[in-house]
Amino acid sequence: MSETAAEKPMFTCSSCGFECHFEYFGKKPPFSKSVVLLEDAYVIHDPFSPNSGHLTLGGQCCLCSTNICVAQTCSIFYTKRFCISCVEKNTEEFPDEIHKDLQRKDVSRS
Amino acid sequence: MDRDRKRSRHHFEKEKPSINERERCVVWEDHRSSLDELFFRNCDLIKRGSQEYKDFWLFLERYEAFHNKRHVEKNSREKDSKDRTSSKLGLPISYDRRYKINVALLSKDVRDVTGFSTTGTKKVYSSSDKKSGRHSRELSKEDFLEFKSILLFYIDFCQKQKFSKLVKLKKDQANLPISHFREQIVNAVGNNQAVIIAGDTGCGKSTQVPQYLLHAGFSQIACTQPRRIACISLAKRVGYETLNEYGSQVAYQIRFESSKTLGTRILFLTEGLLLRQLTTDPTLSQYSVIVVDEVHERHIHGDFLLGVLRGLLQARADLKLVLMSATINISLFSGYFTGAPVIQIPGRLYPIEVRYQPPKVEFSSSSRRSERLDPTPYVRIMQLIDHKYPSDERGDVLMFLSGMAEITAVVNAAKEYAQQSRRWIILALHSSLSVDEQDKVFDVAPEGVRKCVVSTNIAETSITIDGIRFIVDSGKVKEMSFDTEAKMQRLREFWISQASAEQRKGRAGRTGPGVCFRLYSENDYQAFSQYTTPEIQLVPLDSIILQMVALGINRIREFPFIEPPPASNVENSIHTLKQQGALTDDEILTPIGQMLAQLPVDVVIGKVLLIGSVFHVIEPVMIIAAALSVQSPFTQKMGYDSVVASLRQPLESDHGDLFTLLNAYDEWLQVKSHGSSSRQWCKRRGLEEQRFYEMSKLKRQFELLLRDHHLLDPEGRDEDEDERDREKDKRRELKRLKRDHRKTARKTKMLKLDEDELSGGEEQQEEETKTDIRDLEFKLTHDLDKLEAGSTARRSFTLRDINLLKIILCSGLYPNLALPDENNTNKRDSEQLFHSKSKQFLQVLPTSVFANRPQLLQLTDTSVKYQLLTYVSLLETSKPFLVNAMRVPALQTLLLFAHSLDTNGDLTRFVVDCWLEISLPDNATGQKVVSAVQQLRVTWARLLKLRFEEMKDIPERTSATRRNKELDLESHLANKLSEFLDSDVSYSLRRLLPSESRYLYLGPLRQTQNDREFKDAFPFAGGSEPHPTKGGVRVNEYLTYNCLQDTVMAEAASAAAQYIAKHWRCEKCGQKMLVTVLERLQHQEECQHEEPVDPNDSAGAEQSQTTDKSAAVDSSIERLRKPHFCNTCQTQFSFTSTEILKHKKSHAAASTT
Repeated sequence: MSETAAEKPMFTCSSCGFECHFEYFGKKPPFSKSVVLLEDAYVIHDPFSPNSGHLTLGGQCCLCSTNICVAQTCSIFYTKRFCISCVEKNTEEFPDEIHKDLQRKDVSRS
Repeated sequence: MDRDRKRSRHHFEKEKPSINERERCVVWEDHRSSLDELFFRNCDLIKRGSQEYKDFWLFLERYEAFHNKRHVEKNSREKDSKDRTSSKLGLPISYDRRYKINVALLSKDVRDVTGFSTTGTKKVYSSSDKKSGRHSRELSKEDFLEFKSILLFYIDFCQKQKFSKLVKLKKDQANLPISHFREQIVNAVGNNQAVIIAGDTGCGKSTQVPQYLLHAGFSQIACTQPRRIACISLAKRVGYETLNEYGSQVAYQIRFESSKTLGTRILFLTEGLLLRQLTTDPTLSQYSVIVVDEVHERHIHGDFLLGVLRGLLQARADLKLVLMSATINISLFSGYFTGAPVIQIPGRLYPIEVRYQPPKVEFSSSSRRSERLDPTPYVRIMQLIDHKYPSDERGDVLMFLSGMAEITAVVNAAKEYAQQSRRWIILALHSSLSVDEQDKVFDVAPEGVRKCVVSTNIAETSITIDGIRFIVDSGKVKEMSFDTEAKMQRLREFWISQASAEQRKGRAGRTGPGVCFRLYSENDYQAFSQYTTPEIQLVPLDSIILQMVALGINRIREFPFIEPPPASNVENSIHTLKQQGALTDDEILTPIGQMLAQLPVDVVIGKVLLIGSVFHVIEPVMIIAAALSVQSPFTQKMGYDSVVASLRQPLESDHGDLFTLLNAYDEWLQVKSHGSSSRQWCKRRGLEEQRFYEMSKLKRQFELLLRDHHLLDPEGRDEDEDERDREKDKRRELKRLKRDHRKTARKTKMLKLDEDELSGGEEQQEEETKTDIRDLEFKLTHDLDKLEAGSTARRSFTLRDINLLKIILCSGLYPNLALPDENNTNKRDSEQLFHSKSKQFLQVLPTSVFANRPQLLQLTDTSVKYQLLTYVSLLETSKPFLVNAMRVPALQTLLLFAHSLDTNGDLTRFVVDCWLEISLPDNATGQKVVSAVQQLRVTWARLLKLRFEEMKDIPERTSATRRNKELDLESHLANKLSEFLDSDVSYSLRRLLPSESRYLYLGPLRQTQNDREFKDAFPFAGGSEPHPTKGGVRVNEYLTYNCLQDTVMAEAASAAAQYIAKHWRCEKCGQKMLVTVLERLQHQEECQHEEPVDPNDSAGAEQSQTTDKSAAVDSSIERLRKPHFCNTCQTQFSFTSTEILKHKKSHAAASTT
C-alpha cells in the first residue's frame, strides 16, 4: 500500500485536536485571488460552495508558534493570531471587548 | 424575498425615525449597481447573482438593523483613541471589530487597502478617488468604507459558519461506530485480497469505508449498490464528507447518467452496471478496489457479481475486494471467500422495545373474510400510542403491510381515527405512487401531531425515514416468485424472515429509543425462516444466463454461485434462450444473443428491438421497448375519479396496452413541443412524468447501442463547427443547471393536518413557478422537433403499419399468447377469461383497454377473424393476469411464429405448438397458406441472417450493394407480410383438450406398421426425415407434414390427398411438375433456400437474378441443381430437390418389389 503523491499534508490543532488535510499555507491562497490574509494561515478550498473561495482552518499563534485552529474556543484573531492560553497569559494587553468575548465563550462552553 | 426586504425596511424606518439613519439604510439599496461594480465582479470572492451574493444582501439588512446605534458611538470614539497601542504586544487599545478579521479584500478600487489598522482611512480612499469619483455624488467616502467593513464582517461570518460546519462534519464522522475500526479496516484491506465488513444499520460503513480506503492511498475504488438511488445519494454524501462536494473525485454512474470524470477516484455504481462493464473490461482493470455493499440483500446481480469477483481475484492479484453486509448470515460469505477476515462493527441503534401483540382471533369474522385485512389492530396501536405517550414527545409511526390493498384498508381506517383525534397524519407509501407522493413521507408533522406512514417493505431498506419511533409490523410481505412452468410471476403473501423482522424493527431506533409492535406472537417469530429467500431462487434467469454466456463462462450449470439456483430453472432459461435464437443448440452465443446481452433490457424486449431495427420501424419499437422496461407511467392511486379516466381515454388504443403506452408517450411529446406544461398534463391524467423522461433516456441509449452495432443508420446530420459548438454549449448549460438544481433540492415541508390528498392547490402553484429541471434537461438532450415529427407521423399510422408493428412485437413476445375463452361473449366484462398454453383462466388487468371493451376481441363477421392476446408477462396476485396485452390476428401470428406446426395429409388441419388447432376449409386454402408461410419464414430468416450473422464483416455491411440487397429484401418481406396479414382466409380455431393429445399424432409406431413404404422412401433425405415421435415427415425445423391423426371421416380424404399428385408450377423457379402435397412442400422449402446469399459471390448473384427473369425454365432448373450423394447406390449426382426425391423413390420401389 503506497501513499499517493496526491495526498495532502495534515493540519492538526494543538488545542482541540481538530484534524484536516490542508491545501495551502500562507497569506495568498491561490484559489481565492481576491483576498489577502493578514496572517499565515492553513487554508483549503471552500468545500461548501460551488464557486471558488477559501476556508481558513487555522494559523500559528504569534507568540508560541503552535498550530491552532480558528475555533473561538482555541484561538482569537486580534490583528494577529493568539492561542487562548497565550491570550490568558497576556490578558492585560487586550481591550475589554475581547475579555467580554472570552467570558461569553466560557459561559457557553460550561 | 423582495417583499420581505421591503417589509423589514418599513418596519425599520418606523422604529428609527432619525433621518440620518434612514438615509443610511436606503443608501445601500439605491447604490446597489455601483456597489456591484466595485465589490461583486466576476473576479471577486462573492460574485454577482451567486447564492452568497443574495445571502450578503440579507446579511447587510440584518446587520444594519442591529448595529446602527453602535456604529454612531464607535465613530465618535474612534477619533480620540486611534493609533494608541498596548505596551507589550503592540495591539491597538481601542477596539474595533475589524481587528478581529484575518482577511482583507483585494477589490479593484481599493487594491491598496491591505492594512486598515495602520493606514489612514481617508488617505486610502482618496488614492482611488479618481475612479470612484462618479459615484461620490451619491456615496460618501465613509459610506464606501463602511460598506467594505460590512462586507468583511460578512466574509468573516461565513468563514466562522463554514468552519463550524466542517468541525461538525469531522465530529460526526468520528462519532460513527465504524471510526474505531478505521485502522483495522485499512490494514485488513492492505494485507488481504478479500475482506468482509459486517455492520448493522447506522454504523456508517457505506459512507466511511470508501473514504478510509481513499485516504489510505487507494485509488480507483468502485462501490456497488443494489439500488440506483443509493448510488446518487452516497456519491453526494461521500463527496460532501471528503470536502469534494463540487468536484468529481467522488462520482456515481447509473443506467442513465454518470458524473464520472478522469479525476474520479471513488465511483458508486449499481451491481448490474459493474456486471455490464465486464463485457468490455473482463478483468475490471479500471478499478483497483471493488467494494460490494449490502451483499446480504442477495439480489441476483449481487450474487452473480460475487461469483465473478471470486474468480477474478485469482486472475488479478492486485485486485482488492471488500464485501459489506449487515450482520446477517456472515458465515455464508466467509465460507464463500475462504480466508477473508471478517470485521464486525456494532450498529448505532438505540434500544428498541419489542412487543408481541398477535391480534385476537375472532372466529366469526376471520373465517368469513379471511381474504381481507382487518385494520382494527393497527388503529388500536395508534390509540395505545395516544394513550401512553404524551403528544409533546415526538416520534412518528411506520407500519409495514404486505401490499396495496392492505395499505388501503389500514389507511382508510386510520384516517377515520385521525379525523376524530386530530393528532395524526396518515400517509401511504408504496412503489406505484408517484415520486412526489412518495416524497411526502419525508415531510414533518406539526407540533403535537404524529405522522403515520403505512408502507410496503419498500421502507425496509430502500427508503429511510427519519424520526420514526414506533414500528407496527404485520409480519407479512408480498413476494414475487417465478413459476418456471407457467412462465408466470406470482405475487403472494408470506410470513417475513427473522432477518427481515429485525430490519423492520431497527427502523425505529435510528434517532432515539423506539418501540416495535409485532402483530404476531413470539412463537410465530421463532417459526419464521432465518433469512429471506435470495432473489436468484425467485426470478427468471434468462438475462443472467445470457450474460454469463456472453462473458464467456463456459460451464453455466456449474457456475459457483454462493447458493446456486434450482437446476431446472437454469435448464428452462437455457431453453428459452434457444427458442429466442440467442443460443445455438450447442449453447453457443449467436450474433443475436451477442446483441441481446448488450441491451440493458429483458431478452424478450431486446429481441423486439432487434427485429424492429431489421424492419426500419425502429422508432415506435424503441418507444414501446423503453416503456416496457421502466415502471408504467400510469399510476394507480386510490380513488381516481371519472375525470382522470375520461382524460386518459383518448390515450387508449383499441389494439392494446402496448399501443396505449406508445400513444401516451407520443401525446406527451406533442404537449411538450407545443410549449404547454407537460407536468400539468401528466398530473391531470394521473401519469408519472418521471417515467416519460426515463423512457426518453432509455430510448436514446437504445439508439446509441444499435448504432454502435450498425443496426441503425448513422444520424444524418452534418457535423459542422457550429453544430459542435452548440452541442458543447448545451452540455455546459446542462451541467450548470444540474448544479444549481442540486442546491435547491427538495426541501422538507410541514405537513398539514387537514390536507386533502387530492387538492393541494397551493403546492401545485408553487411547483409550477419553479423551473422544471427535468424539462430543461430533456429539451437540451433531445431534438424535440425531430421527436415531434415522429410522433405526428405515428398518429397517421395506417392499419397496415400497425399490423407490421404488431408482427414485430410478436416476434419477440411469442409464445406469450392467450386465446379468449369460447364463452366470453356470454360473460360480463369483468369475467372475460383467457387461456395460454401453460396457464388457463387468465384475466386482463382492470386498467387494460380489453377489460373495458372486451368486444374488441370478439368474433365479428368482418375480415377480423380470431384474435389472440399477446402479452409481456403473466402476474398472479389474487387471480392470474395478463400484463401489457395486445390483440393480434390469430392465424397469421401462429403460423409465422409457431415453433412447431403439424399438419394432416391434405393441409386442412394444423396443430400449433401442440395446443391450438386451426382448421381450414379445403386443401387449396391450406396449400396457399402453407406456401405463403414457408416463403415468409425463409425470407425472414434470410434477412435476419444477413443482418446479424454476417455483419461481423463491417466493411462488407456498409458496402452499397450489400445494403441495397438488404433493403430490397426488407421491403419485399414487409410487403409480403402485409399481404399475408391482409389475406382473407376463413378458418376456425380452438384449443385442444388435454384428452385429445393421446390421439393427436399418428406416432412413429403406426407409421412403421402401415406406412412402411412411405418411411423407406425417405431414409436419408436431409431435413426430410420422419418425425421420431409424431410420425409424418419433417419438412423443416418447424413444419411436420402428415403427422396428425384425422377423424375417421376425414381420414380417407386426407389419406388419399397424400398420394394424389397434381400439376403445379413453382412460382419461385417457374418449374412445372407433377407432385404430391409433400413433394410440393419439400420443393418449396428447398426452392426458397436456393436464393444465393453467398456474399463472396454477390456479382454472380446479381447476374443470375437478372438472367432469372428472361431465362428458360431449363436453365433455372440447372441453377437449382446441387451435388447429391446417394447412399443407396453410392453414386454422386447433380440433382434438384425434386429429382432427389424421385431418385429415392426409385430405390424404394425397387426394394419392395
